Amino acid sequence: MKNILRNSIYLGKNMFRDMSFTFWGLMYPIILAGFFYIAFSGIINMEIKTINVGIGRENQAYPILENVEILNVMEIHENDAEKSLKSGKIDGYIKNDLTLVVDGSGLNQTVIKGILDQIIQIIALNEPMQNLDFEVNYLSAKTQEANPMLVIFYSLIAMVSTYGVFPGIETAVTSQANLTDIGARINTTPIKKSTLLISGVIDGLLINIFSNILLLLFLRFVLKMDLFTNIWYSGIFILLGNLFGVSLGIFVGSSNKKSPGVKVMFSIATTLFLSFLSGMMSPNIKVSIDKNVPILGKINPISIITNSLYKINLLGNTRNLSQGMILLAVYSLVLMAVSYLFLGRSQYDSI
Amino acid sequence: MVIKAENIVKKYKELNALDHFNMEVKEGEILGLLGPNGCGKTTAINCILSLLKFDEGDIQIFGQKMTPTSYNIKKQIGLVPQEVAVFENLTVEENIDYFCGLYIEDKNIRREYVKEVIDFVGLTEYKKFYPKKLSGGLKRRLNIACGISHKPKLIFLDEPTVAVDAQSRNFILEGIKRLNKEGSTIIYTTHYLEEAEMLCDRIIIMDRGKSLVTGTVEELKSITSTREKIIAGFENPEEDISDKIKSIPHVLDVGKAHGEYIINFENGTNNLSNLLDFIKDNDLTYTKLYSQLPSLNDVFLELTGKELRE
Repeated sequence: MKNILRNSIYLGKNMFRDMSFTFWGLMYPIILAGFFYIAFSGIINMEIKTINVGIGRENQAYPILENVEILNVMEIHENDAEKSLKSGKIDGYIKNDLTLVVDGSGLNQTVIKGILDQIIQIIALNEPMQNLDFEVNYLSAKTQEANPMLVIFYSLIAMVSTYGVFPGIETAVTSQANLTDIGARINTTPIKKSTLLISGVIDGLLINIFSNILLLLFLRFVLKMDLFTNIWYSGIFILLGNLFGVSLGIFVGSSNKKSPGVKVMFSIATTLFLSFLSGMMSPNIKVSIDKNVPILGKINPISIITNSLYKINLLGNTRNLSQGMILLAVYSLVLMAVSYLFLGRSQYDSI
Repeated sequence: MVIKAENIVKKYKELNALDHFNMEVKEGEILGLLGPNGCGKTTAINCILSLLKFDEGDIQIFGQKMTPTSYNIKKQIGLVPQEVAVFENLTVEENIDYFCGLYIEDKNIRREYVKEVIDFVGLTEYKKFYPKKLSGGLKRRLNIACGISHKPKLIFLDEPTVAVDAQSRNFILEGIKRLNKEGSTIIYTTHYLEEAEMLCDRIIIMDRGKSLVTGTVEELKSITSTREKIIAGFENPEEDISDKIKSIPHVLDVGKAHGEYIINFENGTNNLSNLLDFIKDNDLTYTKLYSQLPSLNDVFLELTGKELRE
C-alpha cells in the first residue's frame, strides 16, 4: 500500500507536469467548449417565445408536445398543413412519420426540430412513450432545457471523461521494458507490475477527474451553462467514463509496440470519432445513428455516457441507467484484464 | 561468485546476438565487458537481468537462478543503462528519491542515501533542476545516481561515458572506482580501451556475441605474440624499406601508415637499440621514434583480425 501511494505520487507528478497533459487534458477541452459555445451561442442564449406547431391528433408525438409549454400545439390535418405553413399560422408541421415540414428557416423551426429530435431519440432508445415521466416538466422547467444543442456539451463532457486514456498510455509505456528506456530500468527494480498498474490507474483517475472538474467549472461559471440537474447520477457516468478511459489507455499502451506518440494520436482519433458518433459535432448525427443503427449508440461508450447525461439532466429520467453503467464497467474490466496479460509478460524477445 | 552465466544463446531470427556467451563475476571486482558497438554487451546484460528471453544457457546471481520475479536478487542490483532513463518531469532530487524508494522503504534512510548520492555525483546545486535543463554530462551523472542511490552490492554500468565531456568522464570514472572501493561489485561495459585498462580488474573481450577471452589486462596482453611495438618516421629514403627492417632481430611484421613504420617485435630485448643500430647502418634520419607496449586493441586485432574501433 505504501509503495502504491509513493508510486502514485511520483508518477502522478510526472504526468501532471507534462506539457502534453496540460494541453490535451486541461486546455483542449476548455478551448473546445469555448468554440462550441461561440458557435452555438446564438441558439443557446436566444429567448424562446411560444411557437405554433401543427400536428395530427393521431400522431404519437401529440401527447408529448402538448406538455411542452413553449409550444402552441394546433391540431391540423396533414392536407391542410401546407396552407397553414404558407399563411404563417404555424411555424412547422409534424407528420405522422415524425418528419418535420417547414416553410422557412429560423429559430422557431430549429426549436421544433430539436424537440422532435428528442422525441425521435426517446423512441430510438426504446423508451416507451407511456413510461416517460410527464410529471417532470422536462422542456419548460428551465429555459436552457429547450435547447437540443446541449447534447453537444454532454458529448464533450463524455469525451473528456475518457481522456484518462492519456495517463493510461503513460502507465503502460512506463511499465514495459520493450517500450521505453525508463520501462526497461523499472523492470530491473524490485517493484511489481501490479503495483505499477494500480498506481497508474489511481493517477489516471485523479488527474482526469481534476481535468473534468475544471471543464465543468468552466461551463458552469464562465459560460454560465447549467447542465446538471442530477449531479450524483451524472457523476457516476463521468467516473465510469474516466475508468473506461484509463483502461483503454492502458490497453492501447500495452498491446502494441508503436511509439507513445502514435498511441496518443490513435487515442485522440478514437475518442474524437466516438464523440462524433455520439453527436458532438451535430446532434443530428446522433439522432440519425440512434434511428438507423441503434446498436451503435448502445455500444459506443461515449454515446452511452452522452445519452445517459442527456436522459438524466435534460429529460429528468433516471430509469434504465444500469445497463449503461454495467456496460462501461464491463468494458473497463475486460480492457484492464487483457492489458494485465500484456503487461504481465515478464521477459521480452527484444528491447 | 556473484554472477555465473553459462553458454547463453540469444537469437534474433537468424542473428546470433549471444553465441554461447560465458561470464563469471567475482565479488568485489570491476569486470569489464569490452567490445565494439553491436557485439552483444547490452544484450548480455539484459539477459542477465532477466529482461530479455534467451534461447539457451543458465544464469545465476548470488548463487540463485535469476528470473523476472527474483525480487530479492533485484533488491541488491543497481543498473545504469546506456540511455539516460529518468523522468523528464521530476526534478533531479525527485528522480533519485523515486528510484531509491523502489529499493529502500524507510524514509529516513532514503533521505540520507539521496543526499549522499547527490553529493557523490556532484549534483547538489542542480537538485531542483529538471533533467531537460541539465547538460549531457550532468544528465549522465543523474542517470548514474538513480542506479546507485540504494547502495547495491552489484552494479551494472552500461557505457556510462558515451557522449560525455572529458570533465564528466573523469568524474564518472573516479566515482566508479570509489563505489568499488566501498564494496560494490561492478560490471562495466565499454568500447573505450583506455577506460577498460584503467578501471577493470578483469576484462572479457567480446565480438559477435561471443566471449573471446577473459583475464586481467596483463593476462590479455600476454596472449598477443607482439611484445613491443615501435613507431618510426624517416626523412629519407623515399622508397619502402619494410623488407630491410624485417632483417632486424625479433621483428614480427612491419606495417606502414601515414608515412610511418609500425614495427612489431616478438619477445626479445634491446629492440629499440637494435633499431637505432639499423638506422645508423643505413644512414637514415628519423623524425619520429617511440616505443609502445601492446594494447588491448592489439589483442583484439589478433583475436578477430580487425581493429576494436572499426
